[in-house]
Amino acid sequence: MKILVAVKQVAALDEDFTIRAGGRDVDEDYLLHDLNEWDDYSLEEAVKIKEAAAQPAEAAAQPVEVVVVTVAPDRADESLRKCLAKGADRAIRIWDEAVAGSDPIAIARILAAAARQESPAMLFAGVQSSDQAFATTGIAAAAFLGWPHAAVVSSLAYAPGAARAVLRRELEGGLLQEVEIQCPAVLSIQLGINTPRYASLRSIKQAAAKPIEVKSLSDVGLGAADVGEAGSASRVRRMLIPDKGRAQLIEGDAPAQARRLAEIIREFKGGAP
Amino acid sequence: MSRADAVTRILFEAFPTAEVRLFYGIAYAAIAVFLWGVYVQVRKYRRGAPLRLEGGLGGRVADMTAKVLSHRTVQRRDPAAGGAHRLIFYGFLLLFLGTATITLQYDILEPLFGIRFWQGWFYLLFSLVLDIAGVALLGGLLYMMYRRGWLKPPKLDYARPDRSPGDADFERPQYRREDWAFLWVLLVIGFTGYLLEAARLVWLHDRQEVWDTRWWSPVGAAIAALLEAGGLGMHGGGVLRLGLWWFHGLLALAFIALIPYSKVKHIFTAAASLLVRDPRAAQRLARVPESAAAPGIAKITDLNWKQLLNLDACTKCGRCHEACPARAVGAPLSPRDVILSLREFARTTLESGAVPQAAELDVHGKSPGQIAQETLWSCRTCMACVEICPVAVEHVPIIVQMRRKLVEDGAMDPLLAKTLQTIHKTGNSFGESKRKRGSWSKSLPFKIKDARKEPVQVLWFVGDYASFDPRNQKVTQTFATLLHQAGVDFGILYDGESNAGNDVRRVGEEGLYEVLAGANIAALEGASFDTIVTTDPHSYNTIRNEYPDFGGRYEIQHYTSFLRQLFAAGRLQVARPLPLRATFHDPCHLGRFNKGYEAPRELLKLLGCELVEMGRCRDNSFCCGAGGGRIWIPDPVGAEKPAQNRIREAAAIAGLDVYVVSCPKDLTMFEDALKTTGNEGKFVVKELIELIREAVPAAQSEAALA
Repeated sequence: MKILVAVKQVAALDEDFTIRAGGRDVDEDYLLHDLNEWDDYSLEEAVKIKEAAAQPAEAAAQPVEVVVVTVAPDRADESLRKCLAKGADRAIRIWDEAVAGSDPIAIARILAAAARQESPAMLFAGVQSSDQAFATTGIAAAAFLGWPHAAVVSSLAYAPGAARAVLRRELEGGLLQEVEIQCPAVLSIQLGINTPRYASLRSIKQAAAKPIEVKSLSDVGLGAADVGEAGSASRVRRMLIPDKGRAQLIEGDAPAQARRLAEIIREFKGGAP
Repeated sequence: MSRADAVTRILFEAFPTAEVRLFYGIAYAAIAVFLWGVYVQVRKYRRGAPLRLEGGLGGRVADMTAKVLSHRTVQRRDPAAGGAHRLIFYGFLLLFLGTATITLQYDILEPLFGIRFWQGWFYLLFSLVLDIAGVALLGGLLYMMYRRGWLKPPKLDYARPDRSPGDADFERPQYRREDWAFLWVLLVIGFTGYLLEAARLVWLHDRQEVWDTRWWSPVGAAIAALLEAGGLGMHGGGVLRLGLWWFHGLLALAFIALIPYSKVKHIFTAAASLLVRDPRAAQRLARVPESAAAPGIAKITDLNWKQLLNLDACTKCGRCHEACPARAVGAPLSPRDVILSLREFARTTLESGAVPQAAELDVHGKSPGQIAQETLWSCRTCMACVEICPVAVEHVPIIVQMRRKLVEDGAMDPLLAKTLQTIHKTGNSFGESKRKRGSWSKSLPFKIKDARKEPVQVLWFVGDYASFDPRNQKVTQTFATLLHQAGVDFGILYDGESNAGNDVRRVGEEGLYEVLAGANIAALEGASFDTIVTTDPHSYNTIRNEYPDFGGRYEIQHYTSFLRQLFAAGRLQVARPLPLRATFHDPCHLGRFNKGYEAPRELLKLLGCELVEMGRCRDNSFCCGAGGGRIWIPDPVGAEKPAQNRIREAAAIAGLDVYVVSCPKDLTMFEDALKTTGNEGKFVVKELIELIREAVPAAQSEAALA
């Protein structure tokens, strides 16, 4: 039995970044890539299920295979290796130049296609990615697959191979909702559901020896028209840096600061200086 | 037979042959028991991991012999106990050699070759020497009893900081019983030896060659006089002599037989431990072998034979217990108890006929003999324990190797895990962009050379704290102005530099350390320079002592010795002496690790400061608490921190103006502790660099900054 974990390599901004020519994204040179924080938790949840099933006391349980999948160019291999180091058994990376410019709907279409091939009992995704924050991909994949889904899962009770799983979802205002869901299902996993393990550099290095399965669009039965802008429901028009706020730090000793503060108040009131 | 020849040791005189045979039978049995014990111990050590020692045997033997004979390491920080131990050691040694000489003649040389030397003047002189040796032995033993029974130094309290009252191995009363049994048995052996000698004299009162020479055994002769005064006659002396002979002899044989099974074995294990000592044990940690299936120590058999030997060398003297900064602030760690726990564990698992299953060899955990995670993570790797151990037990490498296993399992504080990930991602512990590593230099009125682009004489390895911590950046800028003013041709690696890895390695994340060391060595190889200078003792230590194992061999100096040279050469001059009352905190990695005690003190003197030492200084300097990665692990709330303990020590110096540090982490730790101990305003914490800047007026070009 298999759990498929959809992961994403996210970008963080480095110091003094610039917007790329064309104005639709940040210059690659100023991006630092790492595994999406939410995906650390969804991977950990899958690996925990696998490890629990491997306990001697659980001899009757089915062995679990954890497969991570991502849609990304080869720079994401580094993040996939981290996943392998943390306990994933296989890693699949799907890429084609045509994928560039895809929105979450198009990415979800690719993930769903991969899920059909792997036919897992569960598909885990993070609630959202820390860079784009659409919180859409996992749920859209459920729609493509026609599977039930639960979003923002904060605890999970699932025996590998069971027909149903019981989970709790985090709602606004501190409420929890307990849900029973039929498998296979798509769950988007929330931060804090577990404590992700530390992958030592040694384990990451050892994971470098494990192969990463690289697939093209046609390998998962899709074509260029299904992805990129053609396959997307939305497109980025431009990226911009908001104007700087008007906050300022008033320097000097207390009397000087008070004097300056009074000045500012007078300026705002428009009174005589 | 001439008279001189007649003067000799009385041995089995008046013993029936059967009794002599009985004695030999018992003696051989005692030796057999001893040898079996030795075999079991050696088999235990051989069950440890293999290790190849560096260095020649000759040097090792000379070093060990000098330490054993001089007792230099035993008397450090406890001269009274050291002196008493010296009396016991020499008393015991001479008495043992004396007895061995008798055997040499009686059982070997005389029966085989007819050689006799145990007579005449030689015998008389030996008789005198052994009598004196006996006094030394008894005197030493009596002092040790006084010490254990009345003085009761806290370091001899076996209550463990890493266990709670009620735990099976909390107080370990069996240790105390063994200590006392050891003292009493030796005392009784020594005392009955004198009594036996006296009884023999009374018994042989009418034999001229014995009685007339009796004052060559002054103690025996004096006791004999007392016995005779008390009414003991020759016959009674004979009976007493026979009884005491057997009592003394059997007790001595039992003592010998039990050596490998009791604390007495330290006679051999301590000497052997000194023999295999690694003089750079904590400075340069061992690499994880390429072939290792898993890193670090998980099972007792992952300790190498030398480490297993170290465990048995420990005499529970408590010097490490006393020196440990973690123990001093109530953390659940005593280096002594780590060693003793593992020793008990090795004894129960590795002394039996067959080694138990792997599952029973796990040294991590909370059962008796196992070491808890919290204990291992309490260590600051400050090396105070390794440095003071009189018998060369190397605690820190064992602790770090055990941490390697914890790191592999992810068993660590979440904040530490986060920091390690950050260091992997950005190359620094602050999570700052690599590009910002040299940003501190932007506000300088001159440009610092990029050593990756042009050759420099001095390559300045800046380090994480000096690069990114705002308070330390000021010191870093000040140091740049001093170098600039002195006309030093220097440069930095900018974003080519990564965290040096010293503390990452001591956390136990060896894989990350390899990445960091590799990256820095690659960057250094790409630069052209004569020497490296750093203000960070942690970087200094690992580049100096550990990079060579990764192919990076460089000349490196800590700034204190580099600036001292600049002063000596007249390139910097003190124009405004600072008549301050100062105390100096030796950073672990500069002082204990690399013996850089003098340069900072000479600089302070040069500046005109009056240096008042704290009680714990130089090799006994008290760690600020930041070492071994502890700077990335939060200290327990409410408990005293090592830095606070240290600041309180400094605060006791009357009229102290300035607490001088020469390490970026120290500046952070102690400025914080100054505030949290309520000593702010009483004295200040300053980097030595800042004091130098005050005393050396800036040249025109630097005036803007100063």
